[in-house]
Amino acid sequence: MKIYAPDGAIGRLMLSLAPSPPLLTGLRIGVLDNGKPNARELMVRAAEQLASRTGARITLVTDKGSGHNAATPCSDEVLGQLVEEVDVVITGSAD
Amino acid sequence: MTTAELLDLADEAPETLRAFYEERGWGDGLPLVAPTPARVDAMLTSIGSADPDEVVATLPPRFGMATRRLIAVNAVLAGCGPEHLPVLVAAVRALGQPQLNLRGVNATTHPVAPLLVVHGDVAERAGYNAGLGAFGPGNRANATTGRAVRLILLHIAGAVPGPGDASTQGGPAKYAYCVAENQAATPWESYPTSVGVESPSAVTMHCGEAPHNVHDMESEHPARILDKCASAMATLGQNNAPIAQGEYFVALCPEHAATAAAHGWTRRDIAAYLFETARLPARVLRRAFERLAWEPWMHEVDDDALLPMTGHPDNIRVFVCGGPGKHSSLIPSWGMTKSVTLPVDT
Repeated sequence: MKIYAPDGAIGRLMLSLAPSPPLLTGLRIGVLDNGKPNARELMVRAAEQLASRTGARITLVTDKGSGHNAATPCSDEVLGQLVEEVDVVITGSAD
Repeated sequence: MTTAELLDLADEAPETLRAFYEERGWGDGLPLVAPTPARVDAMLTSIGSADPDEVVATLPPRFGMATRRLIAVNAVLAGCGPEHLPVLVAAVRALGQPQLNLRGVNATTHPVAPLLVVHGDVAERAGYNAGLGAFGPGNRANATTGRAVRLILLHIAGAVPGPGDASTQGGPAKYAYCVAENQAATPWESYPTSVGVESPSAVTMHCGEAPHNVHDMESEHPARILDKCASAMATLGQNNAPIAQGEYFVALCPEHAATAAAHGWTRRDIAAYLFETARLPARVLRRAFERLAWEPWMHEVDDDALLPMTGHPDNIRVFVCGGPGKHSSLIPSWGMTKSVTLPVDT
């Protein structure tokens, strides 16, 4: 007998992470505070460790933009700024 | 070509179907009705000439395309009848509205579930329970439509615990969460009319917690009843406390609503009273939360000021539900979401 699958097609391609650069030396690190408690402190500390080990540098620490928070996507303005100003981004601290 | 894939199933025994679905990570853990083409076609008869393969909404985090046919498949799985499909289609359209923020609703660690409230002619015609025990078991329409919403979220939206639903403890409202507005016992205009939706039938989606009981068997004045509701609101243990845009839904029982109306109180009066009464000192809120998603003015008050539990009286939404007795319900919000009311095409 036949039955239908209940899930159907995906409407837009799921995004995946960009491939990591082979070397971080000289690259610009951005920290995107996703709004979770202590996210900025945790990720800036991680970025500092990464920079000291690799010769990269932290050039931008930002939140998601005015009116945006842990439960909403990052603003287009901040995403554009990240694209322009950094080579790698650290983000995504959870509860 | 249809938007739902046909699969081979060895036989229609409940055990076979359950095993088949479990292998693929589908289902909600309860027995399912096999979505055969004949059953799905019968389900689709209730939407007339509407295109069954038109996309009603694209639902995150999986970004599955919810067509009427796929909604019908999940309605069959849940045990719905064809008369419930128009409600489900409107509910899915509501889930897709940006202000509802379904991506956040599904992704959060909070136990939020979308509450579906059915209004108007379709509630009566399709057998929804707006009366005694409306939030509870025993009624096919409420149980299966609520369950179908969850199956749609699991299957099409991909809100599977773990990869698509991070809720720390989950919650019983995530199985089925559907009631009807008791318009016959409402002393005011219908809820959809109160929010500017003029339609014989409509649905509302509010993404919140499970209902919290508000009990008052003795008061003859609405203020004394609502003081208990305000007390339930003025707590640090809800997302509304740090998130000012969050709504409260107040499901008044008919007897409490009648007491309010007998004193000339309207919905707006009730919302205004709760806004003024449900308060905590700014100091208490600031001490409890480092991150406060407040309205700008709320940040400016001094520590002794009494702050409301939501940013505006319009965030307190009142509808009537239930049967005899003096128990109402408070349904706090997840926070970063707004309720949606839409017409039902019947």
